[in-house]
Amino acid sequence: MKTASSVLPFYFGSGEKQLYGCYHAPRTEQSRNCGVVICQPMGHEYIYCHRALRQLATRLADVGFPVLRFDFYGCGDSSGDLDDAGISQWLQDISTSITELRSRTGIRQICLIGVRLGAALSFITAAEEDGITAVVLWDPVVSGNAYIEEIRLLQREALRSRLKSLWRKESSEEEVIGFPLSVGVRTAIGELNLLTIAPKTSMRMLTVQSEEAANYDSLNHHLRRRGVQFDHQQLQAPKIWLPTIDGSLLVPTQILRSVVSWTCAQS
Amino acid sequence: MNEEAVVFGEPASLVGIVTPSGSAEAGHIQTGVVLLNPGIVHRVGAGRIYVKVARALAAKGFTALRFDFSGIGDSPVRRDNLQFPKSAIAEARRAMDFLAQTRGTEQFILLGGCSGARVAFDTACCDTRVIGALLINFPSIEDEDQSVKENAQRAAFTYYRRFAFFDLRSWRRLITGKVRYGHLASTLWQEMKRRTCVNEAISKQAEQFRLHLRSLVDRNIQLTFICSEGDHRLDDLRQSGGKLLKQLSAGRRVALDIIRRSDHTFSSLCDQRRLLHVLVKRADAMVQSTSEVRKPSFVAATSSVLPELQP
Repeated sequence: MKTASSVLPFYFGSGEKQLYGCYHAPRTEQSRNCGVVICQPMGHEYIYCHRALRQLATRLADVGFPVLRFDFYGCGDSSGDLDDAGISQWLQDISTSITELRSRTGIRQICLIGVRLGAALSFITAAEEDGITAVVLWDPVVSGNAYIEEIRLLQREALRSRLKSLWRKESSEEEVIGFPLSVGVRTAIGELNLLTIAPKTSMRMLTVQSEEAANYDSLNHHLRRRGVQFDHQQLQAPKIWLPTIDGSLLVPTQILRSVVSWTCAQS
Repeated sequence: MNEEAVVFGEPASLVGIVTPSGSAEAGHIQTGVVLLNPGIVHRVGAGRIYVKVARALAAKGFTALRFDFSGIGDSPVRRDNLQFPKSAIAEARRAMDFLAQTRGTEQFILLGGCSGARVAFDTACCDTRVIGALLINFPSIEDEDQSVKENAQRAAFTYYRRFAFFDLRSWRRLITGKVRYGHLASTLWQEMKRRTCVNEAISKQAEQFRLHLRSLVDRNIQLTFICSEGDHRLDDLRQSGGKLLKQLSAGRRVALDIIRRSDHTFSSLCDQRRLLHVLVKRADAMVQSTSEVRKPSFVAATSSVLPELQP
């Protein structure tokens, strides 16, 4: 039975590095014994995925999961600027969020759900932290260098289709769709490679691939070789992290249903 | 970092972030700035621009609130059937109520991009607490029948007329066959059709706009229209504002700032910086100007033109 809607926005974390989070309390009489932390993508991808991830959090809360959806440092409503952030800070943010959800609910078991760069960071965290029982990697960034190339290409295309002569280069800073890409962040992301990370064999994993998105054969092969129990789903869905012609924000219901169903099966 | 996540409204469901005043500049501290969703993008805004704006305004002494209308971002959908144009005005007013009750702000500047600018304008028409509005790419004309393709063609026409026409490289591409002639022809044809056909609904909207514009200026509400040079809404604004907008602008009763070479969402960092600079400067001027107007002699002269507050 559902209770009244209960989404709680709040800031957490320490001092100057406060993070914005939204806690979705379970909407069933009995909470499941596993909390979910949703790790969002970065930059422009965060803006385009927000609507879908909010709906994912609501659906998970509807079936009894306590859910924490948060903004990384320098992203969304959290403190800081994107060009001051970096991989180590963002990994710290996931740990802080896990601690926050645990202290809020008293639940030890955690499932991480990440999209794009958020998925890559979830994967790394799950390899290092205890108590993470399941991980969902939704169109994860497997290679940081490939990701940087991909977003640079997007920026070039944007400059072409968004009327190049409107743009004027005033400084040497690099940017992608209105977000800075500093040398520090670019270098740190470039060093990211999921195929060099050894995941824990004790946890379950789901890799979700939107139709037409990158091929995840190498990641799946890596997981298989490491003895990880994982499922792979390729679903008909658009790349929701990309800008659309009419500015609409896409919600891939088939992926949301699939992720919720898989997460339920693990708890 | 001292921002606070808040939930307000009746029932408490609107999610927002309050950025408290970071300094105690006279006049600013009693002034709240409410940022209204730019279209369906949540309160962070494209390029995170609303976060930057809220923090910059707070550093100048304003109290800023960015929040999500019902059904956008973190705020759940409304349970009644109130349509967006009405619910958005009601919710913008709830945001002002909230700041007044919890932060003691007495007067407000409304800031919005695209449809958020329309809500800011309409709310200013019916709430006497509003002293000014910062209207970014204000949609003075909304043609609901226009398709996505037609909208894209309008944007393309704006580019051809305002930039490509004056660019030698564009002419070279045209002559050497490096353009899509079909696309060019259909864009020009659509624009010609649009300009020659009399659209009564649009004429009525323009008339309403001028009426409300006059009323707001008579009430000494400070209005600043901020337009991207590459956005077709600038043409719409000039067209619907007509002579009145020209006169008011020339007489400095209304400000029109054009961010040169920028697109609709200010998707380059240098455009964002220019926008930020203009917003802070104009908000600052609004407070200074209002404190002059609100000196006792001015209050007596202007209070008679204030319209009744609508329920």
